[in-house]
Amino acid sequence: MTAPSIVDNVTCLGCGCTCDDIAVVVQDDRIVEARNACTLGARWFGDGRVPLRCHVEGEDAPIAVAVTYAAHVLSEAARPLVYLAPALSCESQRGAAAIADLLRARLDTVTSATASRVVLAGQERGYASATFGEIRNRADVVVFWAVDVERRYPRFTSRYAPDPVGLYVGGRSSRTVIAVDVGGAISTADADRRVSIAAVDEVATLTAVEALARASADTPAAFAQMAGAAWAAARELAPLLLSARYVALVYDAEPDGRAERSPQRFDRLAALSHALNERTRCAAIALRAGGNRSGADSVLVAQTGYPFAVDFARGYPRYDPHDGAALARLREGAVDVTLVLGDAGSLPDEIVRALGGVRCIVIGPRASESPLAAGAVVIDTGVDGIHARGTCIRTDEVPLPLRAPLAGPPDTPSVIQVVGAAIRRLPFPHGGSVAAAARGA
Amino acid sequence: MSQLRIVGGTVYDPANDVDGEVRDVCIDSGRIVAELPSSAPRVDARGMVVMPGGVDIHCHVASGAVNVARRLLPEEHARHPEGAPMLANESEIPRSGIAGVVPTTFTTGYRYAGLGYTTVFDAAVAPTMARLAHSQLSDTPIVDGGFFVLLGNDAYLFRLIDAGERERAREYAAWLLGATGGYAIKIVNPGGVELWKRGSRERTELDGALGSSRVTPRAIMETLADGAIALGLPHAAHIHCNNLGIPGNVETTLASMAALDGRRAHFTHLQFHSYGRSPKGGWRSGARQIIEYVNAHRSITGDVGQVMFGPAATLTADAPVEYLLHRSSGKKWTNLDIELETGCGVVPHEYRERNAVAALQWAIGLELFLLASDPWRLVLSTDHPNGGSFMSYPTLVRLLMDRAYRDEQLRRVEPKLLAGTALADGLSREYSLREIAIITRAGPARILGLRHKGHLGVGADADVTVYAPDVDRTAMFTTPRCVVKAGTVVVEEGQLRRAPSGRRIHVRPRYDPAITRDLADYFDRSATVRFANYPVGDLPDAPSPLIDHASPNGAR
Repeated sequence: MTAPSIVDNVTCLGCGCTCDDIAVVVQDDRIVEARNACTLGARWFGDGRVPLRCHVEGEDAPIAVAVTYAAHVLSEAARPLVYLAPALSCESQRGAAAIADLLRARLDTVTSATASRVVLAGQERGYASATFGEIRNRADVVVFWAVDVERRYPRFTSRYAPDPVGLYVGGRSSRTVIAVDVGGAISTADADRRVSIAAVDEVATLTAVEALARASADTPAAFAQMAGAAWAAARELAPLLLSARYVALVYDAEPDGRAERSPQRFDRLAALSHALNERTRCAAIALRAGGNRSGADSVLVAQTGYPFAVDFARGYPRYDPHDGAALARLREGAVDVTLVLGDAGSLPDEIVRALGGVRCIVIGPRASESPLAAGAVVIDTGVDGIHARGTCIRTDEVPLPLRAPLAGPPDTPSVIQVVGAAIRRLPFPHGGSVAAAARGA
Repeated sequence: MSQLRIVGGTVYDPANDVDGEVRDVCIDSGRIVAELPSSAPRVDARGMVVMPGGVDIHCHVASGAVNVARRLLPEEHARHPEGAPMLANESEIPRSGIAGVVPTTFTTGYRYAGLGYTTVFDAAVAPTMARLAHSQLSDTPIVDGGFFVLLGNDAYLFRLIDAGERERAREYAAWLLGATGGYAIKIVNPGGVELWKRGSRERTELDGALGSSRVTPRAIMETLADGAIALGLPHAAHIHCNNLGIPGNVETTLASMAALDGRRAHFTHLQFHSYGRSPKGGWRSGARQIIEYVNAHRSITGDVGQVMFGPAATLTADAPVEYLLHRSSGKKWTNLDIELETGCGVVPHEYRERNAVAALQWAIGLELFLLASDPWRLVLSTDHPNGGSFMSYPTLVRLLMDRAYRDEQLRRVEPKLLAGTALADGLSREYSLREIAIITRAGPARILGLRHKGHLGVGADADVTVYAPDVDRTAMFTTPRCVVKAGTVVVEEGQLRRAPSGRRIHVRPRYDPAITRDLADYFDRSATVRFANYPVGDLPDAPSPLIDHASPNGAR
């Protein structure tokens, strides 16, 4: 046994908060501890061991053979899809966009099956938001709108708000925390005020709060006539929000399994963030799950103009977000080969089911142990952020470095290395080289 | 890299006093050389106009804010899809994209090169977002590029100014430029963005206090302009004044210039800061006041920020401006307050010929150009994509070179607010090709302190553009016959054929390491990014080669 070593300031992709203060303790090429990490973080880092298998049509194969075969399958595909699972660095995502462009493929990410309504609402009307440091230093009122923050984003409260002492606001005792529980689910345990509304009243409540926020001084009299649970909740919430100097309106962009909640809420939350800025300051904070999902949105926007659901079939990017994107195309049989990049083990169930009928090339960590392990080509890689360096994007658009506490073992390929090699083997007139792929991707 | 002789072109190289002389341009290993063996490959440029590659001093192409804008405009993108170019070099992967108001990364590089531009600076990057800017620049091929780092609303800077520690403020700026891989200090609405974050909706006064009476827009500008000079940065502090877009802001702009009296300073997109106010509070041109001041003060440089008719996207660190624009236009709006540093706002916009204010803005920009006495100190920009796309530069060149065309355009626009403008009074000036070469390459390069850019002297970077002369100057400048970037022919016969990676242009000024002790403590207490994770130095695609501008006179 060797002495343990510590890699400091490691960024965690356990959720979209991407805490970058993890001290990873490494011994004998294994992670023995992830200090500062929450339960999600501990799960993200694990012990750092990954399988390194490589299969072609179910048989063990050398990686070079598998890459060549994968390139062949992709180049023969009539309607390929490149699908980005979580756990990819921005560098890997850039490579994925490059190969999708070359293949004239569809390019989609887990965003389309999870947080698409938040993104679309933002594209329809915009929103008023802030990076996490702003709410840490400024927000005197923090609203957790139906977000199970302790379980799904465990360190949000201690790192961003309401616990830290900010430059312009004190710590927890100086801030007002409002929990809005929707449909009986508890939003946050630690709240100064708690407002409960039925799921069916959620959109109406948001609309009523917005109306009160936009009201001029003499209109509330008219609103006083408005009856019902939504208006009652709104009348409770609006004064709290309007008397704040800086409101953080925190909600969950990810599905919470409660089908009774209307996806329209995301549009109303964005609208409310605008309305509150008429009278005070407000930042809407839509939280995302782990694996650098915001990075995928950011990379795709930069390279294609669109955050997900991109189609290169005509030789240029088109946007196709409104009818289910990749999931719908898979279900209707409009995809013949799918290149799945990233952690196939964390794909949404319906995506996994839809991929069942399609030839898959799976490149990513633990691909051989994922539900897609029977794919035509399966190549295990290391994990970006554990075995490979790179960049990620926090939910609030802030880029952070991904260190590689277990970097080094030369037999652990990274996703971008494998994708680069596949691009080189594509029989296109302008196939390029691995070096160019890494540079241009 | 190979040798190349560009033969027999009519050369406009104002930095070397070459004004339309027929001569050869010789290139070896990416640089301009005096002579080549007769066996060197040739490009026939007889009858053509030869200029250095274009240099864009102020645009928004690679930043967090640009991506916010890209995300907000899917309906705009849908009208401007762009297929991948047919590249001759198989080691380069041709990429498709979007060529609209806010183009995608690869397309941005292709389009700039296609216009003969070879050097591009993003004018506003929040330090926290620097990694994103580098990543986008890495995906913007061909052009050499860099960015300016936003410092005018930085909480740590304010603390140092408040403590009367302006020298340490300078050290902080030096550290920040190196940590972010930036090129110059940018000031956007000094103090005004912080006031917006605090809920203010008022105009920003030059001597208005931000908490402490020592921290004022004036003190912020003085500190950073002095800092840029003391650090020997190649480019002066790059200043976007307070109260952008507000009638009467000409007073603010003049007071800001006066505040930095005698100091080297660059005032950007002056068109947006040259608005007078009628007795009833309406809009009128203040261009004459501004340009007369600039003409008379040699320490001041500027760029115009011309408005071009058509769709635009306003995106800026000046977040309160976007709030006002959203309120007045009713268009969609994204705001992103960026922790401890700056803001970000985006609102789509359209400048219409029949809109009186847009027509006035258009006229003010042209007044600034046409009344400027020194093209070396007032250079071309549209503040892409705020005033219009960089793809409209050829049309702007025609407006400046062709009075008949300009007058024809003038007759099309809403005249309501144009009474009393110099433009309406019949400005007859027409820019010469030499002057165009100054305001689009030689001037920006000189203002930026880029000694190897913007000219064709021996030792300069071999960035060369060859145009086929045409009385229709829009056509001439839209499709160069040949563009050479660092010695590589990237455009041949008007077609983009090669797309090599551009280089990063940035500075690493020396600083007193003592500053980092307090900074690390500040980060621990107030930031959400670890101090060790803040510098971009460990990027896999770290800028290379590093260019050290520590010498007092700047470039390389």
